Amino acid sequence: MLYNEPSPLETRVLTRRFGLPNSAHIDTYLAHGGYRSFEKCLEMTQEQIIEEVKASNLRGRGGAGFPTGLKWSFVPRQSPKPKYIVVNADESEPGTCKDRVLMENDPHLLIEGVLIAAQAVGAKRGYIYIRGEYRYLIDIMDRAIEEAYSRNYLGKNILGRGIEFDLYTHTGAGAYECGEESALLESLEGKRGQPRIRPPFPAVAGLYQCPTVLNNVETFCAVPSIIEMGGKAWAELGVPKAGGTKLTCLTGHINKPGVYELRLGFPVEKMINEVGGGIRGGKKMKAFIPGGSSCPVLTGEEAWPLTMDYDSMAKAGTMLGSGGVIIMDEDTDMVKAALRIMHFYQHESCGWCIPCREGTTWLKKLLTRLDQGLGTSRDIDLVGDLAQNMLGRTFCPLGDAAALPTISIVQKFRHEFEAKIAKVQVAMPASANHPFVVVQ
Amino acid sequence: MADLVTLTINGKTVQAPPGTLVIDAAKRAGIEIPAFCYYEGFSLQAACRMCLVEVEKMPKLQASCTLPVAEGMVVKTESDPVVKARKSTLEFLLTNHPLDCPVCDKGGECELQDMVFRYGAAESRFTEIKHHVDEKQWSPIVFYDAPRCILCYRCIRVCSEGMGVGALGIVNRGVYSEIAPSHGDHLECDECGACIDICPVGALTSGTYRYQTRPWEMKHVGTICTFCSNGCKTTLGVRNEKIVRGNNRDKSGINGEFLCIKGRFAFDFQDHPERLTSPLMRIDGKLQEVSWAKALEAVAKKFAEVKARNGKFGIVGSTKTTNEENFFLQKFARQGLGTNNIDHHRSGDVVTLMDALAGRTNALATVEDCYQMKAALVVGADLAQEHPLLAYQLRANFRHHNARVYTVTRGPVREDQYSVSRVRTEPGKELEGVESLRPMLSQEPELLILFGSSIKGEDVRRLVAFADSLNIPVKYICLVDYSNSRGAVDMGLLPDLGPGYQPVDNPGLTLPEMMAATDLDVLWVVGANPLARYSLAAANAFVVVQEMFLTETAQRADVVLPAASAYEKNGTVTNVTGQCQKLTAAAKTMGTKPDLEIMGLLAKEMKLNLGIWTVQSVFEQIRTQVRGYNIPLPVVATGQAAQTSPLNGRIPVISRPDLIQSASNTLFTSGSLGRYSKKLTSVLEYPGELYRP
Amino acid sequence: MASKIQEILGSAAAIAKGMSITFKEMLQPTITEDYPDGPAIFQERFRGAHVLQRDENGLEKCVACFLCAAACPVECIYIEAKENTEQQRISGGERYAEVYNIDYSRCIFCGYCVEACPTDAITHGHGFELASYNTSTLIIRKEQMLAPLEPGKKPSVVLDPAATALAADHH
Repeated sequence: MLYNEPSPLETRVLTRRFGLPNSAHIDTYLAHGGYRSFEKCLEMTQEQIIEEVKASNLRGRGGAGFPTGLKWSFVPRQSPKPKYIVVNADESEPGTCKDRVLMENDPHLLIEGVLIAAQAVGAKRGYIYIRGEYRYLIDIMDRAIEEAYSRNYLGKNILGRGIEFDLYTHTGAGAYECGEESALLESLEGKRGQPRIRPPFPAVAGLYQCPTVLNNVETFCAVPSIIEMGGKAWAELGVPKAGGTKLTCLTGHINKPGVYELRLGFPVEKMINEVGGGIRGGKKMKAFIPGGSSCPVLTGEEAWPLTMDYDSMAKAGTMLGSGGVIIMDEDTDMVKAALRIMHFYQHESCGWCIPCREGTTWLKKLLTRLDQGLGTSRDIDLVGDLAQNMLGRTFCPLGDAAALPTISIVQKFRHEFEAKIAKVQVAMPASANHPFVVVQ
Repeated sequence: MADLVTLTINGKTVQAPPGTLVIDAAKRAGIEIPAFCYYEGFSLQAACRMCLVEVEKMPKLQASCTLPVAEGMVVKTESDPVVKARKSTLEFLLTNHPLDCPVCDKGGECELQDMVFRYGAAESRFTEIKHHVDEKQWSPIVFYDAPRCILCYRCIRVCSEGMGVGALGIVNRGVYSEIAPSHGDHLECDECGACIDICPVGALTSGTYRYQTRPWEMKHVGTICTFCSNGCKTTLGVRNEKIVRGNNRDKSGINGEFLCIKGRFAFDFQDHPERLTSPLMRIDGKLQEVSWAKALEAVAKKFAEVKARNGKFGIVGSTKTTNEENFFLQKFARQGLGTNNIDHHRSGDVVTLMDALAGRTNALATVEDCYQMKAALVVGADLAQEHPLLAYQLRANFRHHNARVYTVTRGPVREDQYSVSRVRTEPGKELEGVESLRPMLSQEPELLILFGSSIKGEDVRRLVAFADSLNIPVKYICLVDYSNSRGAVDMGLLPDLGPGYQPVDNPGLTLPEMMAATDLDVLWVVGANPLARYSLAAANAFVVVQEMFLTETAQRADVVLPAASAYEKNGTVTNVTGQCQKLTAAAKTMGTKPDLEIMGLLAKEMKLNLGIWTVQSVFEQIRTQVRGYNIPLPVVATGQAAQTSPLNGRIPVISRPDLIQSASNTLFTSGSLGRYSKKLTSVLEYPGELYRP
Repeated sequence: MASKIQEILGSAAAIAKGMSITFKEMLQPTITEDYPDGPAIFQERFRGAHVLQRDENGLEKCVACFLCAAACPVECIYIEAKENTEQQRISGGERYAEVYNIDYSRCIFCGYCVEACPTDAITHGHGFELASYNTSTLIIRKEQMLAPLEPGKKPSVVLDPAATALAADHH
């Protein structure tokens, strides 16, 4: 099922089968060039496949943007241990909904990508770790996997070539933290979903301490096209340091929200106004988050001249992240937005390390109070200071993810906090239980 | 050691072997990096973020507890960003940590207190409401106060990695995370209390010590646990002559910080209400309180009378009294009373092992060997139950050195969790099981053999012969039951062997023979309870008992002399591996006397010349007269363990394997003494069926 | 002669001057205290015999943290702590002082204990008549130091009904 009308400005590579009748079925997939790339890979050596992926400049689509080919090349192929492919389908970043559409509309594309990765590193087993809330996707994936088995694309003797690969789905239990790769592996192993100490990285010691290729759904989905059209051609779709297209999720106060496949380097203005149909109600854009709530927030003015790619966003002091674009119009209460974001991270903090566990909780309490206008300008400074104290000191990136948007909101929208405080007159702390007393 | 890595910490050049963590390297160089979750010997967490340091060329602060040293690394531990990070981490920690230090048991020795004092901010910026959870009781011993918990995961690691129990885990998420027992609301574990001791704050508190006193109010006395034969050092906290806690936080002694429930909590027999505090004498058929003078006079008179008419004495020594007392007792018996009718409860065939090894004293293992040797074979013993320290050491050996452990036991044991091979055999058929391991054992570079009381007599010789045929270096531990079981043998509490395994001319009666002799005139029991297992055939025997409690034997006595416990006297004891350690009196119980003093006063009363009976002089006699006990005094005096090497020749006596029977104590029982510890009897009996053979 | 007259006059003037001060003081309020015939008057911050305070619910403020004993330079404070139970709540905290003795034969009234107290439980009162012919009476127990409850008032303690019922069963 498609949730939005495709836009003519899209470059439909990954999503090209979207909208076909019965697009999730293997017959549809095969009729439209499916599994052809995999078959092509069977004629290639492992090095050739990895070289092709390297040439495509494909960068991880989960948010960190690590070059995929490089990641694959870290897998010690001579290792006697079994190797695993793990698909990170724990898409929980607020504002992001691209993996879901991919798995729902074209599950076989993912399976094919996984198969190619398995070929590239010599893995015999793969797991798709699907977010707990995406319950219905498990049925879709399971059906697709079953179809692939029946057509001999999975199993002990794939296409009669003596290749072995088994693929399983596994469901998470609703923890955002399990989208972090090492926490995902812990969860997959049946343990509490908490991140691991790195190094070693999953490529060397991942699932069950064996070499593991762990990528986002979209990353795997891009691989068949890369093999099909060649790494170079794919790279040319994007910008110099990042090749290809990116599924971009337009959310927030926009006329036509949805998932659109755009070339990397697509201008923000064109994206919002032409692809997304402009800001709702013709209002002004107050804030712009390019890649899910973990990224620093940009003001509208900052965002308009940018293009959607890793370097442009980094230059503007934020990140392309997962491509979950959140747009807030001029009526948005930025204190509430900061509180909502912090509420999410406080709820999702796993409790492993102190700065994140205690910091998010304190910030949430503080922001709740500020949202009610109960506070002083010292408290606004405190918000920024606490977020700064979390930044870069936590065990995994969740702490940074909570700190970055908060810091940017306090920096860029401080006047909104001050306005709230000014509305309510407060006396200084009376007792511990009621830190502030409303005078009027 | 040629390939050391050179790095700079705070401008100081430091060298460390590759793989060393920066936090350790700094510590060796005398630079403190604070940490909560890092704990030497356990897996890494990197959760507390206290140990962040600045490393040149690295963008972010690095956790020094997971960062291995690298050549040319430049580390700063006191730079501004680091100081600020520490301060903010402590500030975060204190947001939900209650400031109830005045009532917290940990106050005064709390790592969080210390760190805040040293690194923290003076001012609190947190004005919100703290998250509160009620305190929980998990067992008679362990209490958990969740708000105080800083989630350093030390307890979880010491339980699963150190103890091999895994009774603790974590529930909920984020700030609501809590430590919780694996069984929901209660613990089913060894109740060793390691979690309480390792807790850096007052989140885990102990049922014995809770709200009793404060750390600085106590006198801390390091002595040796009086229960099993492992000889753990325990540091007793004493206030007003009452022992209120036991632990070994200074990690001195052969056990490091390890202690089981007995060493940590079972000291409460010391002030048990049934403790005898006055001599008792049978007057008109009933035991009645009398003065020491009267009791001693009556005993001396009887002894002198029976000795004069060449009557039959039966003397039973203890496996919990000190070496000095045991030595003096056998001297009293042999020189003073002229009898060899002296015995004790034998729980392992040390004698045959000594004979079979015939002088190879380097084949006797130490506790440290359990941690160092590359392979170990456990025959016929449930180590985790009966010898918790040895089990702990083996587990640590596996964890740190990947030691290969083999078990040949009757039923499942905890060592099975990590042993390379497990053999189940009927008792008495263990050697067949051992034989089946030959192909694997012969591949080992070295081997440590621990065998229980089911291997005795000829089986010990066969086991030694088997080990010899492997052609690898082998060391042995003959497992015995109690704190000085080994010392009792070494000191010659045997009818046929004197001190140092010297055969005597006229072997006396063994314990069962004494009990069966109808013409026994005097039965003198020092710190033992033979009537729990045997019945006394001689109805008219005059029974003298030196005891702490009115045990079965004491109830039958004509005179009961109240003895001081091991925690109330000085002396030395020898543990299962033959390591001699010093006991230091920690407390006093009014009315009791140490056994050595009782015997000395008896000798004086009888006008026997048995030499000076102070601890020091008797120990000097042991050092000069007992073979293998010529141990360096400074080692013993400073509370270290001195390895004794008792033998260098054959022992020409006939072994009596039929007399050897281990009491097979569990973690929660310890002969008669264990019954008088309320803590020991209050806990749920676990590991129950799981690990019992 | 003149000098004689001068001397007399001078003396008279001196007496008059002196007496004027005396008469002036006679009109001023008395500063001499009548103790022991009248009550002793103290400066407010006089450090006298200790008083153990109660909180607003009538519970003892002392939680037996031993900090006063630790701060005491002459080691004259002796405490034994005990845990409050649901049935019997003595102090506001988790534990209370079952025994709290001050040895006044050693106390030097330095006030360090008051300074150390985290709950403001121990304070200096104005009691000072502590002399005794028998030093054993100089060890003052908690009961003697506790601030009195208001007449007819009991410590208001919220008891857990279930625990109270359980306690009733046991008795």
